[in-house]
Amino acid sequence: MNPASANHQTYAQRLWRHFRADKFAHYGLGIVIALFIIAALAPFLANSHAIVRVADGRITFPVLLSLEPIEWRFLIYVLLAALIYFFRRKLQTHPRRFLLLTCFFVALVELWLGFSHPINDPSNDRERPSSFKLMPPVAYSPIETTPDQFSPPMWKHPCGTDSTGRDIAARMLHGARISLSIGFVSQSIALLVGITLGGLAGYYRGWLDIGVSRFVEIIECFPSLLLILVVINFTGSQNNMFCIMAVIGLTSWTGVARLVRGEFLRLSGQPFTLAAQAIGASDFRVILRHLLPNALGPILVVATFGVASAILIESSLSFLGFGMQAPTPSWGDILSESRRYIDFAWWLAFFPGLAMLVTIMSYNFVGEGLRDAVDPRLRIK
Amino acid sequence: MTTYLIRRTLLLFPTLLGITLLTFLLIRLAPGNAALLKGGGGESGGRAMTAEVREQTIKLYGLDKDPLTAYVDWIAKVFRLDLGESIVDHRAVAAKIGERLPLTISLAGSALILSYLIAIPLGIIAAIKRGQTVDRAISFIVFVLYSIPSFAAALLLILLVAGGDYLNLLPMYGANSINASEMGFPAWVRDRIVHMILPVVCLTYASLSYISRYARVSMLEALGQDFVRTARAKGLPERLVILRHALRNALIPVITVFALELPVLISGAVIIEEIFSLPGMGQLMFQALAARDGPVIMGITTLAAIITLLGYFIADILYVLVDPRISYQ
Amino acid sequence: MSIPLLRVENLGIHFGSGENLVKAVDGISFSMAAGETLAVVGESGSGKSVTALALTRLLATPSARYASGQIEFKGRDTLRLPESELRALRGKQIAYIFQEPASSLNPVFTIGYQIQEAIELHRPEVSNVEAEIIRALHTVGIREPEKRLGDYPHQLSGGMQQRVMIAMALACQPDLLVADEPTTALDVTIQKQIMDLLKELKQKSNMAILLITHNFGLVADFADHVLVMFRGRIVESGRTADVLRNPQHAYTKALIECVPRLGQKQHRLKVIDYAGIE
Repeated sequence: MNPASANHQTYAQRLWRHFRADKFAHYGLGIVIALFIIAALAPFLANSHAIVRVADGRITFPVLLSLEPIEWRFLIYVLLAALIYFFRRKLQTHPRRFLLLTCFFVALVELWLGFSHPINDPSNDRERPSSFKLMPPVAYSPIETTPDQFSPPMWKHPCGTDSTGRDIAARMLHGARISLSIGFVSQSIALLVGITLGGLAGYYRGWLDIGVSRFVEIIECFPSLLLILVVINFTGSQNNMFCIMAVIGLTSWTGVARLVRGEFLRLSGQPFTLAAQAIGASDFRVILRHLLPNALGPILVVATFGVASAILIESSLSFLGFGMQAPTPSWGDILSESRRYIDFAWWLAFFPGLAMLVTIMSYNFVGEGLRDAVDPRLRIK
Repeated sequence: MTTYLIRRTLLLFPTLLGITLLTFLLIRLAPGNAALLKGGGGESGGRAMTAEVREQTIKLYGLDKDPLTAYVDWIAKVFRLDLGESIVDHRAVAAKIGERLPLTISLAGSALILSYLIAIPLGIIAAIKRGQTVDRAISFIVFVLYSIPSFAAALLLILLVAGGDYLNLLPMYGANSINASEMGFPAWVRDRIVHMILPVVCLTYASLSYISRYARVSMLEALGQDFVRTARAKGLPERLVILRHALRNALIPVITVFALELPVLISGAVIIEEIFSLPGMGQLMFQALAARDGPVIMGITTLAAIITLLGYFIADILYVLVDPRISYQ
Repeated sequence: MSIPLLRVENLGIHFGSGENLVKAVDGISFSMAAGETLAVVGESGSGKSVTALALTRLLATPSARYASGQIEFKGRDTLRLPESELRALRGKQIAYIFQEPASSLNPVFTIGYQIQEAIELHRPEVSNVEAEIIRALHTVGIREPEKRLGDYPHQLSGGMQQRVMIAMALACQPDLLVADEPTTALDVTIQKQIMDLLKELKQKSNMAILLITHNFGLVADFADHVLVMFRGRIVESGRTADVLRNPQHAYTKALIECVPRLGQKQHRLKVIDYAGIE
């Protein structure tokens, strides 16, 4: 691998430089990362259990005890991904060993999660006496009802409460996790399907191309939200996060497929593809190692906009009542509820609306920044 | 050009077939119907189906026949616009959709026209004054608008401008006031327009953002072409160079992009009609979903897909008409 | 002594700034008499096209700066003319033809319309515009011009497109025709046809022609005078015959040697050795 000398920069480095130059994209990325962290750390930011509690001479960590398996997974795997990213160079030297290690680790984690039981303690630690306790910044759980209904924003409840006294701030923080995970997973599914179909169509052309293109055309005739609503309705999967992820993913892949098909059509006609094929590289290898990295730029752009779009769709679904519903904290659901009380409880609409705006705007900024960085016409430097 | 048109029209049919196939599959996969396929079942929307409804559903979708015959039947039915009867009130689905379609079309149509009217000048100005404050301001505002979810915007507008504590300028719901039937025609029209302002605005702003960005890019590209330099070298005033030579070329792709916006508008209509209680096709869809009214759901979906397909077709035709490079081959 | 048609004095045109400053044209001076044919020869980046475009301020001003000098056309400095007078100059007194005829013509208008536009703009006194267009097309050698009026540019071959551009330029009977590499994008045989056409036009009218090219081969029996540009400066100038026979500057010599000659056994095309210049 060539080290980057002063004049010669890798494609990724040039992209990054261009991206950094765009202030909005830069801040957008910052917000996106912040949202990620918030989503991952949500149980530590808003919980009715204390993070640390010292009572009767014993130290306990109530938060950790109350984490559901899925929350553990969120924490552990995101950490794992971060570790892998930062140590990727070292790990590349022994790929097989590293893969085995990861599988082993994942197996261990899953086993442990299978056997552990979260302590579902609906009571809260706020009132419990203790010699020392450290509560999360928002000391309420997102699904915990209090008698403080319709409380406007105040010190105790920074974003107010809703009709059943649930703290909005807590719901917002946990809702970020719902929106982001649905956004990311569904987009990953869309990418997988889109890249596969689009890539095959662009590389092999002929009947495969015609077939895939017709298929894409047919699906694109259906308004996406309508299609998603119908499928969710027919499969009865409201409030089922995994089903929603799958449905959104399986209906939004057409944009990616078109793009990848176009890129592969263009790239496969270029001499380097012919060269790779001439030295006997298998089709799979040519696609994966040669064509895909070159198409990665535009794909990343579409993917970023896709996440924003998926978040939007999920919120729309929840808003209409066909997505995640109460008590699960989803931004769209909170907004939906706010309709009835909008006259006097403005905070019910304001905070989730603001959160959505900021999130989607950030992803769009990042997407725009990427698009400008990837644009071949700007290849002056 | 005629060969292109004929070819394009012929290509419609496979796609139409594909649409009907997809809707057909969806129907068969619907749990209520799937159970009926197996000869048992009889639940829809949580209610036990009456024997009559069962019979009707089976007959409508040919669930008792083999798939191929059932599919052919379904295609024939779609052509005849016989989409069955609603489970909820036994009225013909086609009739139910038909009486609500005009409102949705006027809603979506106005939004589309308005978007274009505002977006094209915005995009052109941004392109001409590229990099200057005007361009940056327009781009930023358009960007923010694009990121606001339609229902959030609707709620915000309702909060601020309609009903509620603040301004009470516009009505919160309905397509007409309650006493609309007693008004004379001009008053009725005014009443309708007043009621439609907010819904149309909510549908317009997102389309507007997209189209104006598209127009800006397209205009920038046109302005960078050689023939613009030729026009200047001929001595044409800058105004004509931009508005006559560059714009004419820039508009070609912009005009055809409406086909992409059509499905988005239809989807948006579902949300907007729900929020504003407009008796259009979108609200019907919402009600049908809530009531698990299969025939209506499938009827609207099929219709939406066909409308979108027509939109693409019209866009293609327009493109051919407007770009001489394609028609004169 | 009569005033020269065109007199360029100490023209300087800069792009970019600071570290990225590029002096595309670095203080050049030359002049043209009425009816004279001047060829400006140089390689890509020598500043010849920039000079040509600068004559009527056709360069995009945010990026290009007219740093110094003046361009006197019929006694008036075009760099300082107000917009309206400049526009009257463009097309009517100084006309252009460009390198890529395919993209220099607007694809959505017919060629008849584009020529009509020029005539209506600068010669409002003409009553039968269509006849004028047909005549212009005929002059540039297009057969059956009356049938070609409704054609779109993409329907014509490259050579015909360039002829249309020339017709459009001539329609207003300019005093100076600036031809910016008019044949570079064309086939060799078509190149000859276009050059022959230009020669014919030169003989029939008193129009001055400024030919920009990188090909010395075109210059020989076409231009009266020749300028050689290198990196924004004029390195040699004079009567064509003199310069060709007796090139003074190393670059000129190199350029002349680059033109392949029939009958000469060449194993390799000659390449310019920049180290030997200036």
